[in-house]
Amino acid sequence: MKAAGSLQKQLVYGLTLGIVVLWVVATALSGLIVQNRLDDAFDDAMQGAAQRILPLAVMDILNREEPLTQQRVAPLNALPGQVAYLVRDREGTILLQSRDADLTVFGPPTMQGFSTTPTHRLYGASALRDTLFLQVAEPLSYRRKAARDATFALLLPLLVLVPASLLGVWLFVRFSLRSVRSYRRAVEARGVGDLSPIQTAPLPLEIRPSADAVNNLIDRLRRALETERRFTANSAHELRTPLAAALAQVQRLRHEAADGPVKDRAAQIEASLRELARLAEKLMQLAKAEGGSVLADVPQDLAMLLNHVVEDLQRVATVPIQLTLPPDGPVLSPIDADAFAILARNLIENALKHGAPGRPINVELTTDARLTVVNAGDVLDPAELAQLTERFVRGSGRAPGYGLGLAIVSTVATAARAELKLASPATDRADGFQASVQFPVAGM
Amino acid sequence: MRVLLIEDNADLGQAVREQIGDDGHAVDWVQTLAYAQLAIGSTPYDLLLLDLMLPDGRGIDFLRRLRSAADRTPVIILTAMDQLSDRIAGLNAGADDYLVKPFDLSELSARVAAVARRYSGNPNPRLQLGELSIDLTDRSIQREGEAIALTAREWALLEAFLQRPGALLSKSQLEERLYEFGAEIESNAVEVHVSHLRKKLGFNVVDTVRGMGYRLGRLEQP
Repeated sequence: MKAAGSLQKQLVYGLTLGIVVLWVVATALSGLIVQNRLDDAFDDAMQGAAQRILPLAVMDILNREEPLTQQRVAPLNALPGQVAYLVRDREGTILLQSRDADLTVFGPPTMQGFSTTPTHRLYGASALRDTLFLQVAEPLSYRRKAARDATFALLLPLLVLVPASLLGVWLFVRFSLRSVRSYRRAVEARGVGDLSPIQTAPLPLEIRPSADAVNNLIDRLRRALETERRFTANSAHELRTPLAAALAQVQRLRHEAADGPVKDRAAQIEASLRELARLAEKLMQLAKAEGGSVLADVPQDLAMLLNHVVEDLQRVATVPIQLTLPPDGPVLSPIDADAFAILARNLIENALKHGAPGRPINVELTTDARLTVVNAGDVLDPAELAQLTERFVRGSGRAPGYGLGLAIVSTVATAARAELKLASPATDRADGFQASVQFPVAGM
Repeated sequence: MRVLLIEDNADLGQAVREQIGDDGHAVDWVQTLAYAQLAIGSTPYDLLLLDLMLPDGRGIDFLRRLRSAADRTPVIILTAMDQLSDRIAGLNAGADDYLVKPFDLSELSARVAAVARRYSGNPNPRLQLGELSIDLTDRSIQREGEAIALTAREWALLEAFLQRPGALLSKSQLEERLYEFGAEIESNAVEVHVSHLRKKLGFNVVDTVRGMGYRLGRLEQP
């Protein structure tokens, strides 16, 4: 199907063209009518002129001492335009003619009433029992010019009216389509994970069903995603208690068993259970990150949340985690508390996992809601660094789990309209790895 | 310490009870909030280990009721709910600590000890008692560089005295702290443990107040 262009443009051009064509047709019709009326008016004038000339001509001819002599007279002032006349007797002898009369334009001498030659309009009348014939001739060009002038006068306003109607139509269409345009802007401004209904000013009746259908579709999509997310989250959640039981039991077993194969096997089971627990946790985090419920209705204090996350991780960390928080008050951002915690936790866990042993991790939150996590360690080459932001890519030869953690971070960041930047070496350092996330600030 | 474990999963409950019991604490284990309420009504506890999803209700509501009744017993939440908002809600409801399942039993032991220390008013896990250096985190005692080994019960007894320095503890109070419901208690169990403690740490470490009970000896402050 051919792509349809802008509705606004189509309407503006279509309506303007329509108006112009209608105007031209109307003008043409008016022109024809005007011409017809003009013809009638000219004919009446010619007939009137002939009837005024005829008695004068008869008197003139009858009073002559030598009849049947041709005589030219000056045109009468009362005659309209360039009317010429000719008076002849029954044999066709010219008895009287106007000064400018061109004999070739007149028809047969006995012709009465109106007639038209290619160049002139003629009118004939007789007197004295058809012994004298008068013919009046008027050039058609004179009439045509008058018709042209009238038509031109009708067309003249078009020069002004076409641009004016173009502008008027454009303004009107634009005004009529303003809710459609605001709808378009609302759709364009959507974030990736935003599946709330699209709210705008009341749409025109014709478009409302489509917009409702879109909202219905979004709603169905949101519910489907929510169901899926809840399923993943619930399964991960439901897994935890039996996992905890199994882990606790196997730890007791390890504790109770004497050194030897049983203890070793218990240790193996414990390690597997831990891996399983880690997977369940990551699944839950992914479900949370991809569920789209990453934006909070109420701005959250990132400083308080970060403090909780770091406090929690400090218990298990093998190296010190140095936390720097802004000294003055909370850092508010419209991100879901759990989503932020998942992001921060993954970044710090990454740093703990891949940082150089024994070197502290620096975690900093600034007043303008930028979270930076820096760990010491070898410098990554740029290609590897660029790959890290791609989903599920693990740094080559590194500890497992890099990819999933950063994928979760990147998913949360995108959905929360935050910007994730990775750098190696870290800013102002010769080594290390730095991840920084700029969160949107509440109220902006 | 006397600990009440409220956990409905049998395998987890059993393992936790064993672990905390091994640390020398007396553990009562119930699987519903109704039983927890009964237990709290009949025995003073030093610590509650509270699961949040129980067959007869939500642990967090139980905790709120407890706090609104001005009960200050330390509470550690053990839960499968791992979101930060759950944790913050738990702490705001009055929990002292929050442990997400699955957890390490050794971490649970450490947190139990940490909460106990906080409540005894001495968050420092290292104490000096006369010539004795006591480290409550790894449960070690040294006298002039020489390690002294205590059994779990002896530790529990020592901790009971350390938590309330100068307080007089009756024999039945000590029994309550050392033994859970249904445990077989020999009539002279407390006396036996006190005498073992004195043998290992020095006679003056525990004073006997005849007919009333025991308290921490006066030798402790150098």
